[in-house]
Amino acid sequence: MVESLIWPSWPLHGNDLMRLAVALLLAAVCGEGVARLMKLPRVTGYSLAGLLMGPALLDWFGPTDLDNVRIAIDLALALLLFELGVRLDVRWFRANPWVLVSSVAEAALVFLLTFATMRVFGHPNGLAATVAAIAIGTSPSVVMRVAAESKAEGQVTQRLFVLCALNVTYSIVLSKLIVGGMHGVFRGDWTLAVLHPIYLIAGSLFVGAVLAFAFRLLQRAFDLTDEQGVAVLFGLLLLTMSALAILKLPSMLAPLIAGAIIKFSDPRPHLWPRHFGTAGGVLVIALFMLTGTTLTPTLVLAGGLTAVALLLARLIGKLGGGMLVGAPSGLSLRQSVVLGLALLPMSGVAFLLAEDIRTIYPLFGSQLAPIVLSMLAILELLGPIAVQWSLRKAGETRAGGR
Amino acid sequence: MSLEHFAESRSLTMGVELELQIVNTHDYDLVGSAEDLLRILAKRKQSGVVKPEITDSMIEMSTGVCDNYHDALEQLGTIRDEIVDAARRLNIGVCGGGTHGFQHWDDRKIFDKPRFNLLSELYGYLAKQFTVFGQHVHIGCPGPDVALYLLHSLSRYVPHFIALSASSPFLQGSDTGYQSARLNSVFAFPLAGRAPYLESWVEFERYFDKMATTGVVKSMKDFYWDIRPKPEFGTIEVRVMDTPLTMRRAAEIAAYIQAVSRWLMIERPMRPCEDDYLVYTFNRFQACRFGLAGTYVDPRTHEHRTLAEDIAATIERVEQHAIELGADEACRAVREIASSGVNDAVVLRGDHADARSLNEVVRRQCLRWKS
Repeated sequence: MVESLIWPSWPLHGNDLMRLAVALLLAAVCGEGVARLMKLPRVTGYSLAGLLMGPALLDWFGPTDLDNVRIAIDLALALLLFELGVRLDVRWFRANPWVLVSSVAEAALVFLLTFATMRVFGHPNGLAATVAAIAIGTSPSVVMRVAAESKAEGQVTQRLFVLCALNVTYSIVLSKLIVGGMHGVFRGDWTLAVLHPIYLIAGSLFVGAVLAFAFRLLQRAFDLTDEQGVAVLFGLLLLTMSALAILKLPSMLAPLIAGAIIKFSDPRPHLWPRHFGTAGGVLVIALFMLTGTTLTPTLVLAGGLTAVALLLARLIGKLGGGMLVGAPSGLSLRQSVVLGLALLPMSGVAFLLAEDIRTIYPLFGSQLAPIVLSMLAILELLGPIAVQWSLRKAGETRAGGR
Repeated sequence: MSLEHFAESRSLTMGVELELQIVNTHDYDLVGSAEDLLRILAKRKQSGVVKPEITDSMIEMSTGVCDNYHDALEQLGTIRDEIVDAARRLNIGVCGGGTHGFQHWDDRKIFDKPRFNLLSELYGYLAKQFTVFGQHVHIGCPGPDVALYLLHSLSRYVPHFIALSASSPFLQGSDTGYQSARLNSVFAFPLAGRAPYLESWVEFERYFDKMATTGVVKSMKDFYWDIRPKPEFGTIEVRVMDTPLTMRRAAEIAAYIQAVSRWLMIERPMRPCEDDYLVYTFNRFQACRFGLAGTYVDPRTHEHRTLAEDIAATIERVEQHAIELGADEACRAVREIASSGVNDAVVLRGDHADARSLNEVVRRQCLRWKS
C-alpha cells in the first residue's frame, strides 16, 4: 500500500486547488483581454470569467464552493471598505452639508422607487423593503477598482467614494433592521427584533473603533508604506474578520467605520503600501470571479423582468437624487449626471447581504435571491463600464490622458 | 501686430498676483479642480479676481490696484478667505509653494482654453512641466521710459526677491538641493531670462516690432522675462518670485519691492547700464541654489557678499521710502528673514525632515496657507 503514497494514482485527478488556480488564471486572462481589446475595466473581465465558469454556463463552480472561499471574499471586501473608509472625511459634511443631503436624497429616492416597483410586480412589503434596502448600496469594490485602474481623481471621483461609502452603510444598516423585523414577524420575538439590529450596529461600531485604534498604534511602529506594511495590514484585517465572525457581526460595516475613524482622528495623509495593489489585486480577482459563479441560469431567469424594472427604477433614483441637489453642493449638471451613473454598480456587498439573510431565513432568502442575483448578473458586467465611462466623461481619468 | 499703448497708472501703486496649487485632501497630490473652484467662486460676490492657469490644478488670484502694504495684505486676505472657503466646500486643499513636491508632470491636464491649448501644442511637455507656482508683483509707472528705467534698475535686486520668496526645494518627489527649483522650469522656455537692454520706449517698440515680424512673438505675453513691462496696466511686472507659503509673506515681499522701487525712482541712485547684466545670471543662480546664503556679486564694485548681507544693506538704504509707503513693518519682517536665513524653502525642508513624507509636507502647506 506504500506505493499509493509514493506514486500518483492513474488516471490523474485534479483537486480543488488546481480548479481554483485554473479559474484564477482564466479570470486574469479575461480581465487583461477585455482591458486591451475593448478598453473596458478589468473587473468586467473577471466577472465575465466568473459567469462563464459558474453554473450559468460551464458549471465548474457552484454556490457550494463558495463557502470554502468565503473568507477570501470577505477579506477582499474588508480591504476595499477599509480603504474607502479612510477616504470618507466626515469633516466635509460640516463644510458642505449639501453633500450629505445629496447622499440621503439619492438613497431615499432609490429606496422608494425600487420599493414601489416591487409592489407593482405584486411582491409583499417585506420582500419589497429588503430588495429596496439592498438596492441602495453601490459596489465599493467596483468603484474603487475602476477608479484606481483609470487613475481617476477629482470632484466626481471623490464624491463617488463618499456617496458609495454612505449608501453602503445605509444599505447594511437598513437590511439589518429588516432582518430584525423578520425576527418579529417569523418568530414573534419582538425583543430579539429590537436587540439584534442594535447589537449588530453597536458591535460593528465597537470593533471598528478597536481596529482604528490598533491601526494607529501599528502605524507608529511600522512604516506602513513599505513591504512589511502589506503583511501588517493583512494580519490586522484577518484578525478583525475572525473576531467579527466569532461575534456574529457583519463583516462589512466595521472596516468602513474603522477607516472613517482613522481619517477623522488623524487628518494626515494615510498612504497604502506600494505593493498593496498587487497583493490585494489577487483577492479582488477572486472576489469578482466568485460572485460571478453564484449565478445559476434558473435564478437569473426567475428574477428576469422584475430585475430589469428594478434596475431602471434604481437608475432614475441615482440620477435624480444627484441632479436635485447637485448645484447647491457645488457640481455642474454634467458632473451630477455622470456621478449618478457611476453609482450604478452592485456586486459583493449586495450579494453578501442577500446571503446573510438566506442563512438565517432560508425560505425568505430563496424568494429574495433570484431578484438580487439577476440584478447582480446585469450590473456585474455593466456597472464597471458605467463607472469608467462616467469618470472619463467627467475628465478625471489620468491613464493615457491628454 | 504692434505693441499696445503704455497705459497710465498711478506711480508706485502695486498689484499682486499669486498662482496657487489645488490638491486633494487624501494624498495631497495635485487635482484638476480649478473649474469646480471657479464655478463656486463665480456664484459669489468677489473682491478680487480669480482666474484659471495653464493646467487644471492651478488658479491665479490677484488683487486690484493697491496703495501700500496694508492695502495689499487686506485685499489678499479677503480673496484668500473666499478661496479657502470654496475649497473647503469641495473638500480640496489650496496652498502656496513654488512647486508641488511630488506631482508627476505627465498626470497634469491643460486647462481647456484656446491660449492654453495653443501653448501646450507649441511647447509640448514643457507646458505641463510648467505646473509651477509664482508670485508676480506689478509696480505702477508714470510713463513707459520710467518703466524701462525701473525695470533695468530693479534687475540688480532680482536675486533678493528670489531668495526671499524661495519655496520650491522639492520637485517630482525629490529634494533638488535648490531653494527655488521652480525658476529652472521657467528658464527652459525659449523667451525666458532678462529683457534686452533698451532704455527708451521707442527703442523697445522697435525691438518688439522686429520680434513680431519674425513671427516668434505675438504679444508681450510670449516673453517669459524675469521682469517685463505690462503696457496695458502701465506697470512693470516682477515675475521671479515663488508663491510664498503664506499670503502675509507675499505682501511683505511686494512691499519690499515697492520700497526699493520708490527709492530707485525718486533718488535715482545710479544710472543702469548694460554691464550690470554681466553678473546677472550668476547672481540669479546663486539665489536659486543657495537662497539667502548665496553669493551676491555687486555689478558695480564687483564685491562679493552674501545675499542676506546685501538685503540688509538695501533695507537700510530704502528705509525712509519704506516709512513713506507704510512698508516699514514689512521691511522689518524682510530683514528678519534675511538675518535668520529662514525662508519658506527652509521651512519646507524642516517639515520634510520632521514628517518624512512629502504628502504630509503638502498638507502642512495647506494649513500654513489658511493661517
